[in-house]
Amino acid sequence: MGELDVLKKEAETLKTQIETARKAVNDTTMEAASSGVAPAPRIQPKARRTLKGHTAKIYALYWALDNKLMVSGSQDGKLLVWDTHAGILANCVPLKSAWVMTVSFSPSAGLVASGGLDNMCTIVNISGEKPKTMRELDGHDGYVACSRFLSETSILTASGDQTCGLWDLETGKQKQSFLNHVGDCMCVALAEDQNTFISGACDSQAKLWDIRDGQCKQSFIGHTGDINAISYMPNGQAFITGSDDCTLRMFDMRADQEVMCYQNAQPTAGVTSLSLSLSGRLLFAGYDDFNCNIWDSLKGEKIGVLSGHDNRVSCTGIPSDGMCVSTGSWDSFLKIWN
Amino acid sequence: MEGKVCSGNNVLQARKAVEQLRVEANIERVKISVAAAQLVQYCQEHIRSDPLITGIATSANPFKDKKSCVLI
Repeated sequence: MGELDVLKKEAETLKTQIETARKAVNDTTMEAASSGVAPAPRIQPKARRTLKGHTAKIYALYWALDNKLMVSGSQDGKLLVWDTHAGILANCVPLKSAWVMTVSFSPSAGLVASGGLDNMCTIVNISGEKPKTMRELDGHDGYVACSRFLSETSILTASGDQTCGLWDLETGKQKQSFLNHVGDCMCVALAEDQNTFISGACDSQAKLWDIRDGQCKQSFIGHTGDINAISYMPNGQAFITGSDDCTLRMFDMRADQEVMCYQNAQPTAGVTSLSLSLSGRLLFAGYDDFNCNIWDSLKGEKIGVLSGHDNRVSCTGIPSDGMCVSTGSWDSFLKIWN
Repeated sequence: MEGKVCSGNNVLQARKAVEQLRVEANIERVKISVAAAQLVQYCQEHIRSDPLITGIATSANPFKDKKSCVLI
């Protein structure tokens, strides 16, 4: 019993130590640091494409590295691969389980991963005549909310079982488990060098992890609700999260704390998704209230809206060439804007 | 016997929590003024090559013709 008390005291001391250390470097705000920067232009992107084909709510989308193909997943039980330039359907992958929550391409776009309420991450090879299921990654004790390929043979998953997992696609086995969240893991983003990644969860925290040893390196607090979306700023030193608490927040990893909060005057709708433009200056965020807001990421001001969907915007994406932003909705449509 | 096992687990959990907090406490932190300045600089340097900010000439826009894809 004595040891438990000692440990609890030490934990409190360490938490205070972290608080103090964060305060010590909190010498200014992001707004103050950007006060000398010209305001971002008020852009009004137009909807250039409306992709109709799903017959139920769309939950996820992902751009291929060729900046042309985009895959979407819907609870109609299908993954649709779109040639967005031509505006036509390129492929259709029927799913065993209709309850899809995440989709992604491998770097070559020859593989597509999907996951959801079946607690599995399914890998399908779409490079041949017909889609062929290659692997069913079975091991999570909860839904698979997000999946991201590191390579053609390795994938990272985030799960409702409160863990993230790194999987070897050659063996189909989990290589590493990431345990520290105390809520469903909803989203992950990989660092460019793939040595680390960040995760967001229903415990309102975002965490930074070392991929190889499974160690949680930093925990970021600030949100007061489930974190549904997460993305690195292109400089790789900061990241932005979107939450059910109706805000987005920027966290700087080197300052180890929140540096900006993006909140509507009347915050009533949760944030479902987010994407950053190429420079990182524009932040596109999908909300439950059917809109996609455009934020100036440095000044924290709302500078535009993409409206056109008739239901919740559930997912957004910007291809690697930054040439457009795509939105997917519960209204079953995808739109491409620039 | 059960009580002992439970308290054993609690101690193990508490030890893990303390180890984790030690890892998180022992990092070097950079002043927000420095980190923010570098972020601002990065964004500014890349604004000119950000198509959604600079705008895209119609001739260079892969999505220029308004097309809708409708599956029957």
